[in-house]
Amino acid sequence: MTGRRIALVAAGASLVYAALAPTFTTGSLLRTLGSIFMFATLAQAWNVIGGFAGYASFGNVVFFGLGGYVVAVLMAKARWGFWPSLLVAIVFGVVFAVLIGLPVLRLRGHYFAIATLGVAEGTREVVLNMPRLTGGGSGITIPALGTRATTPYPGNRAFYYYFLVLLVAATAVVWLISRSRFGYALRAIHQDEDAAGAVGIDTTRAKTAAFAISGGLTAAAGAIFAFQQVTIYPERLFSVEITVLFVVMAVIGGTGTVAGPVVGAVALQFLSEYLRSHYLEFHTLIFGAIIIVAVVFLPQGSVSFVREAIAERRLPLLDNVRRNRL
Amino acid sequence: MAQFLQATVYGLLQGSLYALVAVGFSLVWGVMNIVNLAHGAFVIMGAYVALEANLTFGLDPLIGMLIAAMALFVFGYLVQRLLINLVVNAPIWMTLLLTFGLELFCVNVLIAVATGDYRSIATSYAARGFSMGSVRVPYGRLISFVLAITLTAALAAFMNRTRTGQAIRATGMDRVTARLMGINVRNIYAVTFGIAAALAAACGALIGMVGTFSPPGAGALTLRSFVIAVLGGLGNMWGALAGGLLLGAVEAWGGQYLSGTLVNAISFGVLILVLIVRPTGLLGRPFYEARVEV
Amino acid sequence: MRIRIALGLVVLLALASCGSESKVTGAGGTAAGTIKLGAALSLTGKLAREGILTREGYDYCRDKVNAQGGVKVAGKFYKLAITYQDDKSTPDTAAQLVDQMNDGGIKFILGPYGSASTEAAAAVVEKNGQLMIDSAGADNAIFAKGYKQTFAVLSPATTYVTAMVKAAAELASPKPKTVAILSADDGFSKTAAEAGAKAARSAGMNVVATEFFPNGATDVSSELTKVKPKHVDLILGSVHLAEGIAIIKQSQELGVNPKGGFGLTVAVPTPTFVKTLGKAANDVIGSSQWTPQTKGRDSLFGSAEDYTTGIRTKLGHAPEYHNAEASAACLAFIEAANKAGSLDVGKVRDALASLDVDTFFGHIKFDSTGKNADKPMSVVQVQNGQLVTVWPKGPGTKPLVWPTPAFGRR
Repeated sequence: MTGRRIALVAAGASLVYAALAPTFTTGSLLRTLGSIFMFATLAQAWNVIGGFAGYASFGNVVFFGLGGYVVAVLMAKARWGFWPSLLVAIVFGVVFAVLIGLPVLRLRGHYFAIATLGVAEGTREVVLNMPRLTGGGSGITIPALGTRATTPYPGNRAFYYYFLVLLVAATAVVWLISRSRFGYALRAIHQDEDAAGAVGIDTTRAKTAAFAISGGLTAAAGAIFAFQQVTIYPERLFSVEITVLFVVMAVIGGTGTVAGPVVGAVALQFLSEYLRSHYLEFHTLIFGAIIIVAVVFLPQGSVSFVREAIAERRLPLLDNVRRNRL
Repeated sequence: MAQFLQATVYGLLQGSLYALVAVGFSLVWGVMNIVNLAHGAFVIMGAYVALEANLTFGLDPLIGMLIAAMALFVFGYLVQRLLINLVVNAPIWMTLLLTFGLELFCVNVLIAVATGDYRSIATSYAARGFSMGSVRVPYGRLISFVLAITLTAALAAFMNRTRTGQAIRATGMDRVTARLMGINVRNIYAVTFGIAAALAAACGALIGMVGTFSPPGAGALTLRSFVIAVLGGLGNMWGALAGGLLLGAVEAWGGQYLSGTLVNAISFGVLILVLIVRPTGLLGRPFYEARVEV
Repeated sequence: MRIRIALGLVVLLALASCGSESKVTGAGGTAAGTIKLGAALSLTGKLAREGILTREGYDYCRDKVNAQGGVKVAGKFYKLAITYQDDKSTPDTAAQLVDQMNDGGIKFILGPYGSASTEAAAAVVEKNGQLMIDSAGADNAIFAKGYKQTFAVLSPATTYVTAMVKAAAELASPKPKTVAILSADDGFSKTAAEAGAKAARSAGMNVVATEFFPNGATDVSSELTKVKPKHVDLILGSVHLAEGIAIIKQSQELGVNPKGGFGLTVAVPTPTFVKTLGKAANDVIGSSQWTPQTKGRDSLFGSAEDYTTGIRTKLGHAPEYHNAEASAACLAFIEAANKAGSLDVGKVRDALASLDVDTFFGHIKFDSTGKNADKPMSVVQVQNGQLVTVWPKGPGTKPLVWPTPAFGRR
């Protein structure tokens, strides 16, 4: 059996295991796992534009928030059910990405990162200032409990499956991208955008498509999250902390790889939970320290690190420092 | 009319403080292509140093400002030399993440040591002011305005007239050649970062004097510095000053004639507008990305 | 490489699910004479200060009752134990933690800090059939959803500004004729501001301006500049600490001097307010859920004065109302468990719903939505650097200082 076949079998096994997990785990653990799957999806979606194309977006949470608010507003104000609202949320995310991408994808490097951050923060402020539509600072509540619900509240198990399916879809999309011409185009753009343009790649179309895919997947996650939370607030749904969290997951796991974001999400969430229950006062501090250490020693992410370690049969920890230091 | 004048004057005074915060941030970004997400944390740290100096030794915040600047210079130098220098050649989001981790760390150390309470440095004169017609000009903010301009001018002079300043500019233009010319780039980077931290700390002392501060407020300060640095053109000191003043005025007008809750949306709108229309900033010139101009 | 990663994932998931199975205990959460309560509090993050004060209040109650032998239920004594988790001041974490507590068999929940986290937790509590006693979530929106499992001991948001209006109408001479209202734009502040505006109009005052600013703003100069030319008698702020301090500081800078001064809800009873503003804080009124002059006594804490002495001895600082409301929530649970004579969630819930007791925190009696609607909000004022109670009048309260001299002369 080749390495790749083993990998596929193992991936399939863990998928089957994840699918059966709800039959023997408790409600709140399902909630935690669901949240891990959601973050993994967000990291995977970011991976498309940030990892493959190299356009480090620091505002992807804007799609998360918009997806959530579209669902909330449609369900609360227009009395729609969840599934049609979810569809609209995804379309909204894609369209918003394309529209925003028009001006913003022309920028590079830090400028692009800051522009996307500005878009996210600005959108949050706009949502805050439309209280009649979105509830503004008071938040908005989806009618999910009791008789007024347009779609009855599904419960922890159902949300676990929703997030799992979304993660599988996101990973499948990234896997397909990584093996396609589109993926090569993105990687080329990452390495040298001008050269990529020179060899005939339509860089604008590729970047926009990547951004749109990223936006749609993120919006879907936001939509499901909003339904799960029932009441959502702008500060939480458009929080820059969420962006940084899933970027850290993608980077620590390994950008530009298929398994990286998933690995990063699982590892970081467990780490976060562990720290929170054992170091009640200092967990954020320790988390910050860990990020620093990870960035210094593992900048290419754990997946590539492990690959290199196996290939060279040693731990190339200090190599990174030597390679990247001034 | 009186309201417009008051809003404008107050907005400019407020803007000068924003500008001072952004000058250091812009310097680091322009010279070293490092976006320091912990910059706001340095401001707050400086504010606490000045507060301690005031509470323990009774020192006026204008003196505490000097102490804070010196302390944070050392801190900034060490952070750059021992930590950030390690990832300078890595992909861009590495420094972003590193400084983000640094911010988390510093802010939470502050919370652990000083609690998350809102603090302020009490002076007898800061809130008082004089009236020019119907416009009130508070002393504290006037002093900050004067200091902001003075410090920016001092920094510009430093950049132009001293060897270290010129070494910094040279490194910002072309690091490889600077090295060939015998400039110790590791040291210069650390000095630059230290200067930025010192300016941030000085600003923190001033903010403590005229307003309130608390560790969770660091993020908002950093975010504003982004906007102003981009507005003014990266690495451009006077640009940052102009950008800060402009932003302060625009926010004041926005708050006056639109709803007060739109203030933040306005600053981001300005940011995006500038990035789309003129990404090199109001006063920046379209040369290479990392270039210091004074 | 990929094999190992995939296998690693499988192992992780396996470990995770194994871990959880051992955590599931029997229903009820009582084991050999201990009642377990759970609290998801903001021990870090924006609301850390208040979260820690809330924790102090819960702990003080627990220690007091355990020193007495424990909670008496149907003739037997049970020790009280509280499990804390940190919700990082984020509502969805609070909800997740309360859910986790449910799996751990903890059915009785002491509320988180703040309306947002309380609202999120209330949804989960309702779904799981747990019981929550809310100590710090005042927004009326929480109680407009038909939840049956959440009860709040504190006065709702609608009373925060209204109390100051009532105090001014009753005690101020000459009565203020014009009022301006400044409010943060979060749900709790807006509810308080709207109710306050209504109360002001019914008291015959003219509300000439209502201005909003972002939650947590440290610059309210635009709003003050707009209000200044209207020369109102009283400026009421539905604010938190940061905005309250900003209003006073910037009013000083801009020369805004209403005759009756300022009323700034929860900013005033926070010690940092006086510490930061010095003389400028004098004569500012505020509202507080509890003061050492609050009327009422109970068998656990005694009177409000006794509570003050107790907290001072134990913690070394004077109690803030966050301590008191937390202790009161814990006390409500104890009273309900006692009254129900059982630790069955349904029976304790019904006992809570019909509770009608006098406590150091004031009277606790819940209306049909779970609010403690009868308990009055106290109005305080800073006089010579000290916080004193001015309303409702009673033993230990001081007369209201009115009108207020301009800033330079305080």
